[in-house]
Amino acid sequence: MSHSLTIEPTGEVVEVAVGQTMLDACLRAGVWLPHACCHGLCATCKVEVLDGEIDHGEASSFALMDFERDEGKALACCARLESDVTIHAELDEDPDARVIPVRDFDGTVQRVEALTPTIRGVFIELDQPIDFQAGQYVNLEIGSHPGTTRAFSIANPPGNGRLIELDVRRVPGGLGTGWVHDTLAAGDRVRLAGPYGRFFLRRSAGLPVLLIAGGSGLSSPRAMLHEMLAAGDTTPVTLVYGARSSEELYYHQEFVDLVARHPQLRYLPVLSHEPDGSAWQGARGFAHEAALRLYDGDFRGCKAYLCGPPAMIDACIDTLMKGRLFERDIYMEKFLSAADAQQVRSPLFRRI
Amino acid sequence: MDMKAAPKHKMGLKERYAAMTRGLDWETSYQPMDKVYPFDKYEGIVIHDWDKWQDPFRLTMDAYWKYQAEKERKLYAIIDAYAQNNGHLNVTDARYINTVKLFLQGVTPLEYMAHRGFAHVGRALRGPGPRIACQMQALDELRHAQTQVHAMSNYNRYYNGLHDWRHMYERVWYLSVPKSFFEDAVSAGPFEFLVAVGFSFEYVLTNLLFVPFVSGAAYNGDMNTMTFGFSAQSDEARHMTLGLECIKFLLEQDPANVPIVQRWLDKWCWRGVRLLSLVAMMMDYMLPKRVMSWKEAWEMYFEEAGGALFKDLARYGIREPKCMQQVRLEKDHLSHQVWTTFYNYGAAAAFHTWIPDADEMDWLSQKYPESFDKYYRPRMEYWREQAALGNRYYNKTLPMLCQTCQIPMLFTEPGDPTKICYRETSYLGDKFHFCSDHCKEIFEYEPEKYIQAWLPVHQIYQGNCFEPGTDPTAPGFDPLAAVLQHYHLNFGRDNLDFEGSEDQRNFAAWKGAVTRNQVG
Repeated sequence: MSHSLTIEPTGEVVEVAVGQTMLDACLRAGVWLPHACCHGLCATCKVEVLDGEIDHGEASSFALMDFERDEGKALACCARLESDVTIHAELDEDPDARVIPVRDFDGTVQRVEALTPTIRGVFIELDQPIDFQAGQYVNLEIGSHPGTTRAFSIANPPGNGRLIELDVRRVPGGLGTGWVHDTLAAGDRVRLAGPYGRFFLRRSAGLPVLLIAGGSGLSSPRAMLHEMLAAGDTTPVTLVYGARSSEELYYHQEFVDLVARHPQLRYLPVLSHEPDGSAWQGARGFAHEAALRLYDGDFRGCKAYLCGPPAMIDACIDTLMKGRLFERDIYMEKFLSAADAQQVRSPLFRRI
Repeated sequence: MDMKAAPKHKMGLKERYAAMTRGLDWETSYQPMDKVYPFDKYEGIVIHDWDKWQDPFRLTMDAYWKYQAEKERKLYAIIDAYAQNNGHLNVTDARYINTVKLFLQGVTPLEYMAHRGFAHVGRALRGPGPRIACQMQALDELRHAQTQVHAMSNYNRYYNGLHDWRHMYERVWYLSVPKSFFEDAVSAGPFEFLVAVGFSFEYVLTNLLFVPFVSGAAYNGDMNTMTFGFSAQSDEARHMTLGLECIKFLLEQDPANVPIVQRWLDKWCWRGVRLLSLVAMMMDYMLPKRVMSWKEAWEMYFEEAGGALFKDLARYGIREPKCMQQVRLEKDHLSHQVWTTFYNYGAAAAFHTWIPDADEMDWLSQKYPESFDKYYRPRMEYWREQAALGNRYYNKTLPMLCQTCQIPMLFTEPGDPTKICYRETSYLGDKFHFCSDHCKEIFEYEPEKYIQAWLPVHQIYQGNCFEPGTDPTAPGFDPLAAVLQHYHLNFGRDNLDFEGSEDQRNFAAWKGAVTRNQVG
């Protein structure tokens, strides 16, 4: 049993199963809709219902006001169809976005590698090859809690066939990351869905690239860097990579080697909590501070991609905007918690 | 002609918008662009790339007419039904209608001024994106002015004070406050107007103007005004995004724009706050059924929502408006000070005043625990006693006005509600007076602009507010009566206390006629 969902202005038609959300059906059909939190808190996926009946599901009354419901607005991530429905979505055509349907994948853990004391690299051989854009993520089902998923960026570039790498930092007390660190082992079967996300390179702009990574947020920038090199793209790329200490720095040697071979690359590792007097000769401080010094406070004319904890992303946005790089040139992957969505936010910015 | 060759492709919203707006623009060649658009540089705002303007909404003119026509049909159906059913008799209490009078006298003309302002500014901007946005907003504002006049004309058939609002707006002392606010904005440069009206007013302060009136109407059974409000509100969302996009555009174009915009924000947030003191008194005193207190509205819409906005704007190097501290100190006092002033000058206002009843005073005590019982209740109780003894006192002298906001000097020192705040400065040998440091600072930055202010009190003293042929030297000359005549304000009908007014008597009689049977 299903209903048809027509998406204006493109006119695409998607079949939505009973109980399935609009957003899930669209993403699985390769139709991208703006979205972020996926559970009715952030209102990024607000659409207008032009025709048909829907159920608002668990849409938060903060994210979708009563008067908006009266006006026919709905949150695609929570709305379920009660009849055939036509919606209008604010779709921006992005020349760099590829249409890749979200699919379910089963796979086998090939190996689990301790990249740092707190980060595990999980290498999964999928039963089917996965297509994705560097920077996108998958939702991994947590084996100890069937039905519960956690989002992880894919750390390798596309073109690896069936093999994907997920680098997972242990969140103290975290259910999903705890399971990855404590239980997951080679030979285990896993299930995941993907690819998700609008965090990918805007290479068509032809502008120099600034990648800023913090902690395990290195996955997407690393995949992006490799994707560019694999494509023979010689656009200048700068990777600023912030970690707490030298032992938390991973793939360091890989980047050092790449810089030696590719003159268009710059690599700046920076440590925030490295003990004084250690052997570390490189930069100290936070990633945004290092970027500020490297660019002498002027970021105009580049595209910046940010991936890391929310505090790092906020500090980077402040720094980039002071250096006159604005929302249209800043991209990020930010995971929203329920607490974040409760804050009073001004609508000044759309994405950042 | 081979029609089959035409592409079948249906343009998307965005593509269609681009074709119907930017696609219709051109660079002039017979005349240089700087001569065609002479006003968009002198304010010091630097624009490098007009194409960086992101159209905040994608409504094309052809679609605009369709949307608005549908809204009008619905609105006028309600207005007609309201009139046919004598809807005016369903309001909570005839005192409520004074809110409508204040709105028609003081707000509706502003909608019209906003229409003129946006039409003018749209013409002055060389970027097609903002030009189209301003064009639509100009039409919206005209529609708001018209629909307000039509919606409220229902009341003009039955109640006093609504008969000549346009004439009054140009002359009456308290209406010079909204009038001068908008004239300051429309006589500024195009970018200052956008920051003043598009951003500060339509975005930062709009919820404090619109929501109180519209919810006030809803709470008090005025379906007429409420429906007008809903119809306008659907446009307001578009106006708010225009204001936001405008500020982002200016701040991103050049760092030199940041201090200019900051000064405008400081100025216009304060100008707006002063203007809203009329709304503050309306919320706390004029609505028989209250929605929320002014202080609560201020905290919710300005301190919370505005706080989040200024936190985001900090990324551009913009700080909170300078007046924030003073406004925080005033929120416990503003509405009481303004209402008592109107009570005092009730003979010269085109609406009725009254002292709140016992329940209403308790509500005020509860909403203003820090200030009402201590400073304002004793005065009001005293005035009520005096009125009961036949000593109702109407002040017939003229107050000193602030040169900038044109409000009588009624506000107290920040932090000391027992002392009136006076500020003054000299310019070219003349002394000028202000209600606050902020109004003084605004004057001092552009004295040549504000010395031209048309101050009602000065004009009365200069003899410019009497009807032609009036002889002020005639024996027994009553200057107030002559001024009210000039205002087209009918003494004894439009002004004075609500208690004993014609409005009160008529409402009671008509209400009685529809709820009871006549005998005999």
